[in-house]
Amino acid sequence: MFLPYLILLFAWAIYPLAIAIVTSIQSSRAVPGGGIGNYLFVINEFRFFPALLNVTIFLAIYLPAMLIMVAGMSLLLDSIKTRYTVPLRLMYLVPATITGSVAVLVWYFMLEPTYSPFAGLLAEIGWTQGTDVFNRENLAWIFALIAFSTGAGNWIVIQYGSLQSIPDDILEAAKIDGASGFQTAMRIKLPLIKKYLVYMLILAFAAAVQIFVEPYLMSSVPSALGVANDWSLNQLAYNLAFRGSNLGAATALSFMLLLLCVILALWVIYRTDFFDEAEIKRKKKEAKA
Amino acid sequence: MTTAAVRRKKILSSNTPIGKSKEALAKVSKWVILSGFALFSMVPMTWMLLAPSKTQPQLQQDAPLSFGTFEGYITAWNNLALFQDARILQWLWNSIWYSALQVSVATAVALLAGYALAATRMPLQKPMLIITLIAMIVPAVAFVLPIFVQVSQLGLYNTAWAIILPGMFYPFGVFLAYIYFSSTIPKELYEAARVDGAGEWGTLLRIVLPMSWGLVGMLAFFSFQANWVNFFLPYMVVNTGEILTLPVGMGILFSQTPALNPGVGAVALPIRGPEIALAGLIVTLPILIVFLASSRLLVRGVLAGAVKS
Repeated sequence: MFLPYLILLFAWAIYPLAIAIVTSIQSSRAVPGGGIGNYLFVINEFRFFPALLNVTIFLAIYLPAMLIMVAGMSLLLDSIKTRYTVPLRLMYLVPATITGSVAVLVWYFMLEPTYSPFAGLLAEIGWTQGTDVFNRENLAWIFALIAFSTGAGNWIVIQYGSLQSIPDDILEAAKIDGASGFQTAMRIKLPLIKKYLVYMLILAFAAAVQIFVEPYLMSSVPSALGVANDWSLNQLAYNLAFRGSNLGAATALSFMLLLLCVILALWVIYRTDFFDEAEIKRKKKEAKA
Repeated sequence: MTTAAVRRKKILSSNTPIGKSKEALAKVSKWVILSGFALFSMVPMTWMLLAPSKTQPQLQQDAPLSFGTFEGYITAWNNLALFQDARILQWLWNSIWYSALQVSVATAVALLAGYALAATRMPLQKPMLIITLIAMIVPAVAFVLPIFVQVSQLGLYNTAWAIILPGMFYPFGVFLAYIYFSSTIPKELYEAARVDGAGEWGTLLRIVLPMSWGLVGMLAFFSFQANWVNFFLPYMVVNTGEILTLPVGMGILFSQTPALNPGVGAVALPIRGPEIALAGLIVTLPILIVFLASSRLLVRGVLAGAVKS
């Protein structure tokens, strides 16, 4: 029963991992010695540091925005009567369906002043032409906005779900003790959903550090041409592989990103109690049986 | 919050007139923020729904969220079909049959593996579970470049299989199924089936599966969501237009038509804003329908095992 999955696991996770390691130490024209040289080549590549900086700035905008908005909005949503939240929740889910290449398309039109429904707002900050918006300084903000709009609503609804599962007796006890709605939210509800928020941040970080499609497609926009080209680390890996035909350095870079995500995954599994609860539930069942 | 708790809150806080007006103010600002964010959430989708109804000049000059004509959609579609002999139909068909195959195999495999992990005695159960968790947290994008090297070695480069096969690996689904089979289905059921002499397969197919259609729906939902919009992998492993999928086709429309960049592509090609918005709509509508129809599955799935809902 486990065999089909085991085959897929080997074929599309373990084998690629082995390939990444082997290819990343292969010799190439740029690094005849191969080995660790490929890793050093990537780190010393002139586009590496700017790309790392870009992705770091993007993460520094995107992750705090996610944390604050998702925590705040889900607590707010939880503070009103359940039946009124149904249409709100459905509306929050809508942007999550606009992902990947479509998200880039839609947000191009949302931000290009000629088309934008927010043109008035953009004009307020002095942006009246495409070149005012799609330029080097703004790209990290634009990608953070796209990532945020795709992920936030989704996660607000999910965190709302976890808030709804807080036992009523805890909340009633707080009420009897005289806690206000705000105090209950900050002192009781927030700590109880903290680990789900951490889990969300880890997943968001792992996905965001791999950003590719947004900057790649944005480089088709005239004013971002040339600026969005080697913008992210994954784009650099792609360009090293296909334009620089340096597969060793490309896989070295992609293996470093992969390793970062694996370390994060191990941290979630062993250092947080996110997956413990599932285990405890299972153990309880077993103990009963 | 229970209705009883809400009622109690009302009684407690409306005792004084100051409490009353303060509470009203808090309530109003809550609703302003909540519905403001809801409206903001709807803008991009609304724009995309309306854009194909207009012509390119209307798109630039009329109010951004205004409606053109119903004929606009037909015109936009006809224009879109001019791109490389209705290539978009090929992309649409590819996306449909690739993801149908991926969703059915991924769902079946995840169901079996989750069941094996949760309900049968198998060697290395714990390490397998840990590996699955790691694979589930690491985003699929991280494997794209090594998979590219791999499919080139296997001679699958530039075939549909290079897109389809990796999408069948679905560790998140295995974990969901594992949680479901180990916490929702009572342990006694497996034991009773075993006592009655039903084998593992018989227990799963005849007893457990008929109780688990909710799980099957959830597995199919998340697998569809991941595969339908996948961009990086198909883009890397295929470079022939006929084999590509809709999301990558969108990228081609970006760079080879005047849609975003008036200077690009054949001058006569009438693919502009309305046409590319229609293409985006074709990618998005299936997910939107699936999403809204099963929003409860989403909440139950992502925090599986940790949250009841």
